[in-house]
Amino acid sequence: MSTTQFTGLISTLTRQRGVLGCLVVSERDGIIVDADVQAGVDAAAVAALAAALYRRSRLCSEAAGLSTVSFLQLESERGHICAAGRDDLVAVVIAETGAPVAQLRTVILQSVDSLV
Amino acid sequence: MSDEIRRLSDELARDPSSLVFIQLGEELRRTGQLDLALRVALRGLERHPHDADAHDLLARIHVDRNELTAAFDEWDTVLKLAPGHVGARKGVGYVLFKQGRLAEAERYLSQASAQDGGDPSIATALHMVRRMLHFADGAEIPQASADGNGTAPLAEAGRRVEEEARRLFAEILGEGEQTALLLDASGLVTAGLYITEDGRDVGQEVGASLAGIRDEAARAAEHLGLGAWSSVTFETDVATVAMAPVLDDSLVLVAAARSVPLGLVRRVLQQCGRRASVWLGATV
Repeated sequence: MSTTQFTGLISTLTRQRGVLGCLVVSERDGIIVDADVQAGVDAAAVAALAAALYRRSRLCSEAAGLSTVSFLQLESERGHICAAGRDDLVAVVIAETGAPVAQLRTVILQSVDSLV
Repeated sequence: MSDEIRRLSDELARDPSSLVFIQLGEELRRTGQLDLALRVALRGLERHPHDADAHDLLARIHVDRNELTAAFDEWDTVLKLAPGHVGARKGVGYVLFKQGRLAEAERYLSQASAQDGGDPSIATALHMVRRMLHFADGAEIPQASADGNGTAPLAEAGRRVEEEARRLFAEILGEGEQTALLLDASGLVTAGLYITEDGRDVGQEVGASLAGIRDEAARAAEHLGLGAWSSVTFETDVATVAMAPVLDDSLVLVAAARSVPLGLVRRVLQQCGRRASVWLGATV
């Protein structure tokens, strides 16, 4: 597997307990920049949908005058999608229900600086 | 003249007996060319006097011209031709509502809602009528004029419904640095307020920016086999915003200052969600 400038970030995030995969995507068009996801996960679809959610949150934040979105979490019956962005790039993490989301949030926010 | 109107006009000119006049009339109505729309509808009805959709079109043109009695008559004709016509039931419900005949309006809108539960405009109108009936305490409000101008009691009941909606979450939010909104499927504000620090209500702008997020969240969770989504939370430098689905097509949103702990924001979101569900499900 080739290494990219995002390999370190993805490796850090996928090592966290309960994480099923991590992607770096372009918020503008939902295209994958780099990814490491478990077999069976449709990375391209996840990237597009996560980018759309992030983009919509940013628009909502702008409409309400709330400054830049720094972190997003979607919670569902059987897991979570967490995302943090910088400029046009968004780090997206897919995690199962039992994942320690608070800890994961801290790690994502610490890692997001490398999204340049 | 738009390309679509030109295309439909050409098609009708080629075949004057075609039902394309319904599409043409609707397009003209939608673009505000009401006199022209009326002429097209009336001419079409001369050839197709028993077409329910043509009468439905004429009724909607009458509503846009504020001719409620004529609209009512047309929808009444539609229901004679096609008793299950959901647009006509919705339309009759609307006219009766405007005339202050709330109990009858509720009956027609209930029927329309049972037929097409996915139409948020029917659900919103039905909810509005039911809350007004609640405030009217079941009493019939005197009928408005044929032009549809509301009577004072009708306006008063409407004002009370609006006030109830505006203050729906006030008790939960208290005096804290939080605000909450209830949005319908189109992103329109159903209840609550979103007041910015400088005192502006940006509820409609926030709602518009979130139109469709419910579907996107559902698709994302479904695609990953994560089941039904329960909340989306995002943080900014100054605030935390959390939202959750309510009933079939609504969304409740809570925004709080960053100083409010995330766990508390979620608890407030749950409380607002429960309050919204009860309110939306409320009947007379």
